[in-house]
Amino acid sequence: MTLLDLWPLMPLLILVCGSLVILLCGAVLPGRYGTVVGVVACLGAALWALQVPPQTTLPALGVAFTPFSRLFIVLFMVTAAITLLLSHDYLCRPGMNGEEYPATILFAAFGMTVLVSSATLLNLFLGLESLTFAFYILVAYDRTRPTSAEAGLKYLLLGAISAAFIAFGIALIYAGSGTLYITGAAGAALTGPTLAGWGFLLAGLAFKISLVPAHLWTPDVYQGAPTPVVAFLSTGSKGAAIAFLLLLLPHLAALGPLRLPLWLLAFLSMTVGNLAALLQPNLKRLLAYSSVAQMGYVALALLSGERGYEAAAFYAVAYTAMNLAAFGVIASLEKTGSRELVEDYRGLGYRQPVHGAVLALAMFALAGIPPTVGFAGKFAIFFAAIRSGEVALAVIGILTAATSAYYYLRVVVNLYMRSAAGEGEGEAPTVPEAAALALASLAIVALGIYPAPLFDLVAAVLR
Amino acid sequence: MGQLPLLTILTFLPLLGGLLILPLWNCRRLLRPLALGVALAELALAGWLLAVAGGLPRPPGAPPGFFLWESAPWIDRFGIGYLLGMDGISLLLVALTAFITVIALLVSWRSIHERAPLHYLLILVMESGIVGVFLALDLFLFYLFWEVMLVPMFFLIGIWGHGRRIYSAVKFFLYTLTGSLLMLLAIIGVYLIHGDRTGVYTFALPLLTQARLGTAAAPWLFAAFLFAFAIKFPLFPLHTWLPDAHTDAPTAGSVILAGLLLKTGAYGLVRFGYPLFPETARAFAPLLALLAVIGIIYASWVAFAQEDMKRMVAYSSVGHMGFVALGIASWTPVALSGSILQMVNHGVTTGALFALVGMLDERADTREIAAYGGLWGKVPVYAFFFLLFAMASAGLPGLNNFVGEFLILVGTFPTMPAAVVIAFIGIVLPLIYTVRLVQEVLFQTERRPLALSDVSWREGAILAVMAAIDIYLGCHPKPLLDLLRVPVGLLTGVGGGQ
Repeated sequence: MTLLDLWPLMPLLILVCGSLVILLCGAVLPGRYGTVVGVVACLGAALWALQVPPQTTLPALGVAFTPFSRLFIVLFMVTAAITLLLSHDYLCRPGMNGEEYPATILFAAFGMTVLVSSATLLNLFLGLESLTFAFYILVAYDRTRPTSAEAGLKYLLLGAISAAFIAFGIALIYAGSGTLYITGAAGAALTGPTLAGWGFLLAGLAFKISLVPAHLWTPDVYQGAPTPVVAFLSTGSKGAAIAFLLLLLPHLAALGPLRLPLWLLAFLSMTVGNLAALLQPNLKRLLAYSSVAQMGYVALALLSGERGYEAAAFYAVAYTAMNLAAFGVIASLEKTGSRELVEDYRGLGYRQPVHGAVLALAMFALAGIPPTVGFAGKFAIFFAAIRSGEVALAVIGILTAATSAYYYLRVVVNLYMRSAAGEGEGEAPTVPEAAALALASLAIVALGIYPAPLFDLVAAVLR
Repeated sequence: MGQLPLLTILTFLPLLGGLLILPLWNCRRLLRPLALGVALAELALAGWLLAVAGGLPRPPGAPPGFFLWESAPWIDRFGIGYLLGMDGISLLLVALTAFITVIALLVSWRSIHERAPLHYLLILVMESGIVGVFLALDLFLFYLFWEVMLVPMFFLIGIWGHGRRIYSAVKFFLYTLTGSLLMLLAIIGVYLIHGDRTGVYTFALPLLTQARLGTAAAPWLFAAFLFAFAIKFPLFPLHTWLPDAHTDAPTAGSVILAGLLLKTGAYGLVRFGYPLFPETARAFAPLLALLAVIGIIYASWVAFAQEDMKRMVAYSSVGHMGFVALGIASWTPVALSGSILQMVNHGVTTGALFALVGMLDERADTREIAAYGGLWGKVPVYAFFFLLFAMASAGLPGLNNFVGEFLILVGTFPTMPAAVVIAFIGIVLPLIYTVRLVQEVLFQTERRPLALSDVSWREGAILAVMAAIDIYLGCHPKPLLDLLRVPVGLLTGVGGGQ
């Protein structure tokens, strides 16, 4: 390794240095510059990643900067930056003091960057684990609320199990294929140890993106963790797990025996997730089950071959925008009292028009109503599914999507069609929050009306 | 006439006008004139097109019958294009849309006090969506507009409605969404089958209709289309959302729902369902005719039992749309022209009836038939219009609905005589319940002392214009039929082509 090799590694170094700077300065200087440093570091890393020539590989480190990693690095950096903007106000509350929080977000972003730019299974695992470790801390960050600690414990226990599954799966694939490089390992024939390895890998990743039946932690963690963390967890961490699968699956010659388990995961997630969400009075739990269902659609895409991988990558971006908007609104509203139940949002669309409009937009997008990015994403998924012959699952997906509209509408109904019992005018979002919400909503609408460039981009990076 | 993208302007002018409302949210006095101005501009444009349509040359690249045509690439990866086209059918329905929107804005002129800016914004956005539906010739684009027009109606019913407004709004949304999502699958299916067969992957309707898609999957695909359109129609037994939505919607919502949204279903069947699957549609025709006839009889029967005027008008809509469905099912040039004409007729007449009921509701705060009586002596102008539109709706000769129903029955008789005979009962039944309605509301002795005032000049003007259209179309439908001759001939493949 030479000094020149540091050039492509700079995005990683920027993130690490950024978080160290925040931690070091926090020890001596009081203040709330963590958000600023964090956002600058994220954007700096994203810009640098765009400067690195694509197809740069560093075999000694098992790192490969491909167009694929570029796209996802930029996505994760923007997600992390938005999360920081959303958390800024949260950190000003009594009992919170801030510098560990942005530093940990940057560590998580570092893990995501490692994951998507890895060329070996080992690096994949290291990336996934370093981001998961950061999340163990973040989920339990709000020590003033017992639910946060409980959520942290649940996430830690199940996360540890899933990590064990993934590690064991990787070991088996290595044993079967004799190589740790992704291209070779994933391309090996699906027999004996490799097949078992893939099984473990799928099971572990099913935990990570909360596919049924490995979804049970999701509602509790979403409800208990600090809301900005949930925004990041549901987008960044899931996006990273999807990227994990997208790095491996396209190298398979054929899905073969993996088809059935994936089929079942998709089927169960779409049906169970949507049906369970129908019954949730708590908005965060509702969104948790909705995310289970949404990941079911991603699983359907992953089942559907080449076009499906593109659809999954597109949906990762779409889902990030939609969930950042939804959880961004919830996080921003938490300042003015408890907003746990869907009922608490009665008439909010009029008292707090910006929040209401963004939340309603996010709900319509999640329900897949055009012209939002959610519709473009669902269209791509069903398109790929029908194209690859998964018509039955596509019909089930369509019917569950129609069902899901009911609970997304329930939120909109509360926002605009029910009046609350005597509450005054609400607060407008603060400047960082407004920036975050505006960016997410803009992405939802713009990518919904004109998705062509993103479709072309994901197709290009997956080639 | 220059290179102005007229169709794009037609489609997005209302949306732009609606967005103009956003910065003016707090200048209440400017809002109504602004919204009305935009709607009138749209109407003027549509009216001008109606006047000059006959003389427009066929633009390059347009399929036969289309005199305005715009196409641009949009999402190339999937073969999705931005494709708008206008032939006689689209033109008529776009003009109807522009007209009904103006009416909808005017009838709610005074009744909307709360959240007025949002109300105007939603109506204009809906207008854009509906015009888009009538102009889109790319299946994906069509689907997009189809879904977009749902959202404003959902809010209109849910926010300004009465009674069980939320239940009705959600029911309306879920019913139509379920149908249209299945249609989305079918659209993708059509695309893939066409692509696999010809090598050209496209969502463009003119290309898709050239290759006949007579595959094993065709019945399923057509059924999905039919399901989506039949819900909007609403065809028996998928109509149950409609009385609820109508009853609980605000007046403007009811007017748009009856005048326009129901038409999108029929239009979809005419423009997409039949041309894409001609053989399958032929095979499905008896089923469609059967459902239409059941709908006609059943809806008229139920309408008879209604105590709520709005519900009665709503059920009468189901019956009238049954006639439209019957005409489409028979697919002869005469019946199809009748159906399309009947869409316009029904839009104007039922729109006027809902406006009339809305006016009563505004004054006396009840829509119960039993509450009224003796209006003939008390509010003579109102009563005159009420009688006129009720008679038009019942199909009195000389008024517009008669022409449409007549053409449908005449055109259908050669192919499906049995259906026509039964449907004929469906002409008599509305007469009975209409006479009852008129008798109870206008001529019965007054039952409750209600302080009613006669129509204001604004209301009078709305009704007078609509009445004039009703009478004009009843006596002289030829200009509209001329406009329909070429496209209907092309669709049915019987003469009338270029």
